[in-house]
Amino acid sequence: MKHKLIIFNLVVVFLLLVTAVSGCAPQATEAPAVQPPAATEPPAAAGAKPVAENFVVWSYGIETIGDNIKNFQAMYPNITINLKDYSWLEYHDTMVGAFTAGSSPELLYGSDHWLQEWASAGWLEPLEDHCPSVKGYSAELAPYALQGMTYNGKVYGLSYYADTMDFVYNEALLKKAGIDKAPETWDDVYNMSKTLKDQGVTDYPIIMAWSQKEGAFPEAWTSMVFSQHEGANALFDNDLNPVFNKEGSAAFEVMEWLRKVYSDGLFDPASLTTAEIDQVKSMQSGAHAFTIFPQYNMAEVNKPASGEYAGQFKIALMPGKSHATVGYVRFYAMSPKAVEEGPEYVDAACKFLDYFGGKTDGQYTVVKRWAVENGLGFAQLPLFQDKDVIDAFGKWGDVPTIEAQAKLARAKEGLTTWYGAWDTFARAEIHKAILGDESSMDALNNMANKWNELKAQQ
Amino acid sequence: MAVNPVALGQPERRKGKPWDKAYPYVSITIPFLVIALFTIYPVLYAVRISFYQYILTKPKSHPFIGLKNFQDVITSYYFRTSLVNTAVYTIAAVIGVTIFGLVVAMLLNSKFKTASALKIIILLPWAIPAVVAGLMWKWMLNSDFGIINGILYALGLIDKYIPFFANPTLAKISLVMAQIWKEGPLAAIFLLAGLQLIPSELYEAAKIDGGTGWRIFRFVTLPLLRPIILIVVVYETITAILVFDLIYVLTGGGPGDSTSMISWFAYAEIFKNLNLGHGVALAIVIALITLVLIIVYLRVIQSEETISG
Repeated sequence: MKHKLIIFNLVVVFLLLVTAVSGCAPQATEAPAVQPPAATEPPAAAGAKPVAENFVVWSYGIETIGDNIKNFQAMYPNITINLKDYSWLEYHDTMVGAFTAGSSPELLYGSDHWLQEWASAGWLEPLEDHCPSVKGYSAELAPYALQGMTYNGKVYGLSYYADTMDFVYNEALLKKAGIDKAPETWDDVYNMSKTLKDQGVTDYPIIMAWSQKEGAFPEAWTSMVFSQHEGANALFDNDLNPVFNKEGSAAFEVMEWLRKVYSDGLFDPASLTTAEIDQVKSMQSGAHAFTIFPQYNMAEVNKPASGEYAGQFKIALMPGKSHATVGYVRFYAMSPKAVEEGPEYVDAACKFLDYFGGKTDGQYTVVKRWAVENGLGFAQLPLFQDKDVIDAFGKWGDVPTIEAQAKLARAKEGLTTWYGAWDTFARAEIHKAILGDESSMDALNNMANKWNELKAQQ
Repeated sequence: MAVNPVALGQPERRKGKPWDKAYPYVSITIPFLVIALFTIYPVLYAVRISFYQYILTKPKSHPFIGLKNFQDVITSYYFRTSLVNTAVYTIAAVIGVTIFGLVVAMLLNSKFKTASALKIIILLPWAIPAVVAGLMWKWMLNSDFGIINGILYALGLIDKYIPFFANPTLAKISLVMAQIWKEGPLAAIFLLAGLQLIPSELYEAAKIDGGTGWRIFRFVTLPLLRPIILIVVVYETITAILVFDLIYVLTGGGPGDSTSMISWFAYAEIFKNLNLGHGVALAIVIALITLVLIIVYLRVIQSEETISG
């Protein structure tokens, strides 16, 4: 009896092994069959059949999004949009999990630094293949934003917002220390910080939101490198080879500067664990004089209710040789799921994208609302002439400086399928260089080696 | 000679019925299939993936690459760093949790009025989800408004708030503290159960022989608690090696890679680098390391039992 049971168990284990090893993986790896682009066949008229689609976003302005959805649904009663949000910090990993599990939503937020990764994997659909109006918007977009939404020559998104990384200072604190002008170079920032600290105005004049998981960390570091470099190719050449790991490069100078301000006690050590929301609150409290953050935070720091320093926060052109900075874009995107579900779903998705990232009755309704109500930047250049937008931006910032900085903005270099993986590695290396755990050149060499390793894997 | 089962006090088995023959197989098959579906199959599938290049952004291309995934992860800089970090963290956390548990268990074992209520309350940190515990510690150790900084400052022990998570050493210590707070109560309850099994006559005899507090603890309590201590050590070692959620919430592996543990490295390979092959190979390596440690501990426990037996 015991003997028979052993034989029986062995047979079952063998069958399971055969199933696992031979039967499963190849089928699981096949990409889902994608129907021909809807552009080749006219989409069914919306209104014929009720359509419900899922829209996944990161958690920001959820009430406004809900209100926009309500307005959209009033316009298209047969379309229902189900909203779901995740924290920005978990958004990328959650979406990757959803994509690989085959449970992606039809509509979602995307970002320039994930586009190559997601589009190359087939997790996003090129909008211009499905939505006829998308190409028409490209001419009105800021170049860095269009570049950030384009993969293999095709547009994959309609801009939700686009912004620049801005250098911000607290004018009141500078005045307390007898400083009456904004810094123009990184040496100015160092010297002013030293004065502020020596005079007891602030313990740590500089703060950054550079926690490992913080979204704008790479943008802020790259904007420093761009500002210290003239022209393109600050990080990579045209063949995507790293050029930053050389003594005298802008990246090297920035790393050395960061090490100096850290070791001299001018750079708040907590920066390495600070998230953007804490950075903003810290600036509002007057604990720091200088920072770099996305421009949309200006409306928050300068709002009258923000405290003693409301209205004292000013944008200066990014200090450095060229004053260039990073411009980035977050966008509305469509997944292949909408295409798989049929033309009426594609049609509904296109209507949604048009309403949220494009024009309704000739107006960028939703984009303008974000700009006016929340101070979010935008990629749609005609909005710079919009009186409501100018009035709204004028409440918290100096519009000519904002415009000047926007003109100097460039898309991040090296936006490739492996940028996300490299970025994760680079963050830790930048930390180690700042902490003095390794030299600036070692950190830059490690970053370059990792880049080359990832590039070779493609 | 044939033996009558009834005569031996066993129920008579009915012969020749098909169900009787099938019954043992069916009763084994059902639980076996459940285990196979939820445990054996995923493990085998994971093992299979580890032999293929499995980059999530290349869903149509998964060539067989043999042991290259294992070679890549084991020879990587991050593996060495995270292995050292994990070893340091595990040793510190296991020692900390065991000592904390022992001290609390001794206190709870003493006869005071609120001891029984405290036995329940003490378990609360263990019952709190790790993510919530992580957030609590993140706020308590915050460099701007954290209560720990506040207390230290009020007591005059520091002249400015300490950014605990921005310093590599302090970040590691903070993680260990959070782990001890989270896991210590369970260890205390295990050890308390062990303490209550020690016959009081042994303590009385030790006292008659002139034993004092420390000597009684050293020569009576500790030897008799050793099997329980070993169980605590085994469990806490596995928990510390596999820790992920606390790191995710508290430090995100930083600053630099100072708190990047091996489980964090596996997560980063899958979700940041999108390399499932590397991530799974690493998970298998972690499982093997854990398995080896468990076997070593079990051998120690067995030898303990042999000695005491």
